[in-house]
Amino acid sequence: MKTLIIGEVSNSTLSSGTLEILGKAKELGTEFELITIGPDDAPSIGIDSITQKYVKRNPENLQFNNIATMISEYIKNNEVKLVLSSSTYVCRDIISFISVDLLSSPVSNVIDFSISNGSVETINSINGGESIYKSKVNSEHALLLIRPKAFEPIEAEFNDNYDTLEVEDSNIPIFDIFKEEKEGPQLEDSKIVISAGRGMVDKDNLTMINELANKLNAAVGGTRAIVDAGWMPYSQQVGQTGKTVKPDIYIACGISGATQHQVGMKDSKYIIAINKDEEAPIFQIADLGIVGDTLSVIPKLNENI
Amino acid sequence: MKIAVCAKQIPDPANTMEYSEGTLNRPEEQVLDDTDRYGIEIALQLKEKFDAEVTIISMGPEGTQKGLQQALQMGADKAYFVDNPSLKGANSLMTADVLSQLALKSEADIVIFGTESTDGYSGTVPQQVSRFLNLDCISYVKGIEINDEVKLTRQTIEGSENVNLPEKCVISVTAGGVEPRYPNFKDIMAAKSKPVEKIDLATLELTAEQNLEFVTIENVESSKAGEKVIDEGEAFNQIIEKLKELKAI
Ligand SMILES: Cc1cc2nc3c(=O)[nH]c(=O)nc-3n(C[C@H](O)[C@H](O)[C@H](O)COP(=O)(O)OP(=O)(O)OC[C@H]3O[C@@H](n4cnc5c(N)ncnc54)[C@H](O)[C@@H]3O)c2cc1C
Ligand SMILES: Nc1ncnc2c1ncn2[C@@H]1O[C@H](COP(=O)(O)O)[C@@H](O)[C@H]1O
Repeated sequence: MKTLIIGEVSNSTLSSGTLEILGKAKELGTEFELITIGPDDAPSIGIDSITQKYVKRNPENLQFNNIATMISEYIKNNEVKLVLSSSTYVCRDIISFISVDLLSSPVSNVIDFSISNGSVETINSINGGESIYKSKVNSEHALLLIRPKAFEPIEAEFNDNYDTLEVEDSNIPIFDIFKEEKEGPQLEDSKIVISAGRGMVDKDNLTMINELANKLNAAVGGTRAIVDAGWMPYSQQVGQTGKTVKPDIYIACGISGATQHQVGMKDSKYIIAINKDEEAPIFQIADLGIVGDTLSVIPKLNENI
Repeated sequence: MKIAVCAKQIPDPANTMEYSEGTLNRPEEQVLDDTDRYGIEIALQLKEKFDAEVTIISMGPEGTQKGLQQALQMGADKAYFVDNPSLKGANSLMTADVLSQLALKSEADIVIFGTESTDGYSGTVPQQVSRFLNLDCISYVKGIEINDEVKLTRQTIEGSENVNLPEKCVISVTAGGVEPRYPNFKDIMAAKSKPVEKIDLATLELTAEQNLEFVTIENVESSKAGEKVIDEGEAFNQIIEKLKELKAI
């Protein structure tokens, strides 16, 4: 089935979501091409034996509508049937726009899919991962938005073999571009993640979380509740509307375990939860649950590690 | 200025979602999706500055209209909704198609959305509506500063960026950026007399169709809960033992 992968470039490399979809496509052995989108000049993102077009967007202009128009044209002209993309901000915009051009509703939050007899069947995770929902795409084009960490990434060496395309500006300029500083271990690729929730009681108490993270060389995450409260930047949010993590060890401190949070962490290999409420849903998925006060347990960990 | 806010009535999120034949069961009494409160708040701030008219637009079973009332109580002026059995299990594109038509009916210059609904979370409807209506789409707005110009801050993967609000556009708003207001008793009473109009689906010009077919819902073997220890002052030792066993320390 002729497939197009829409990928993203950030920090001058292919995003992890893109590498994961490439991994799946390789495994399926379908014929595919890659269109990537990013703000960087001449990033090293080419991969041997994969045909790639790089859409170099202007970071100071909102161009996603124009990029979508280009890709819709490409899909029609090249008889692409299946379009795969990760559920990032940029790609969600692009796939949504394309879905109107092709009059084909996309499938969001896909965690796996298969192709048989020329049709695409998708799998979604619902109710915080308790059930899986299967559906079949009956339109000429199938557009899939895939959750991060659904597939194993392809291993690739990068070169400069790709074509670069330019995009026209819209009439909406972008200004005051702000990049959050990234320091220490990153959520997506740390072996240990320590996350905080409202049960840390106060923003100042996050220092004990950071101290523990330092000792364990862990990345720090948080729930939407504390991100919304301004305790932590959005880039550290774990869950349905934040990052998906799959570390060897996940330590949830003062987190209730709402399904929207679980979606982002339940596939961690070993889950430790500290919560004073014995009935907190997080305990249903914890391998080791400590019913207790975070503010007393965590300082003791820090003293003794 | 005319503003439409797309707001959804959803089953109370405190209850678990139940499905039959692949579609979410919707009780008679549905509530306003909390994620839509942020969009309504932004619309009301614009209304205060520019004297705009704010219309709530919604698709789904009418029920007791509790969710619509909650939206009007916050301060919206009126509501349009579509309720038709043929829309049961509508995909995101069909939903966007219907909402686009309602937005046209409201003559909105600005159409505001949440980024994702709590019960459907496809996260694509706002962008689809913008494309149907041929409007610019300013997605993932997490902050607004209203002066003579209106500055919107967009969430991006790396941080944030700003754009000025154009005269006509679609906006999607993330949770947390603004503080949704609570209605007082007067607002609650006033909402009761605001117009709520049911729009006949047959009067809308729709193009999208159902292209996604439900196959099955299967329960997954949930990884069973492990050990639970009540802390009496020493439970930290168990964590340390485990971390050693897993070679983390
Ligand atoms: C569309 C949508 C998308 C969402 N996306 C996300 C997402 O991506 N990520 C996310 O995390 N959430 C998300 N949410 C929000 C989610 O539903 C929950 O509201 C949120 O995860 C709760 O965060 P919390 O666990 O920190 O807070 P709470 O639910 O308030 O839980 C705090 C917990 O701390 C415990 N506690 C309190 N004090 C102590 C103490 N001293 N010691 C120990 N325990 C204590 C309490 O018992 C409680 O269980 C989303 C919601 C919606 C509707
Ligand atoms: N049936 C509906 N009625 C009104 N607004 C909706 C409906 N479905 C989705 N929306 C709007 O679209 C946003 C994104 O929804 P979704 O694409 O379902 O995640 C929501 O926050 C609402 O603003």
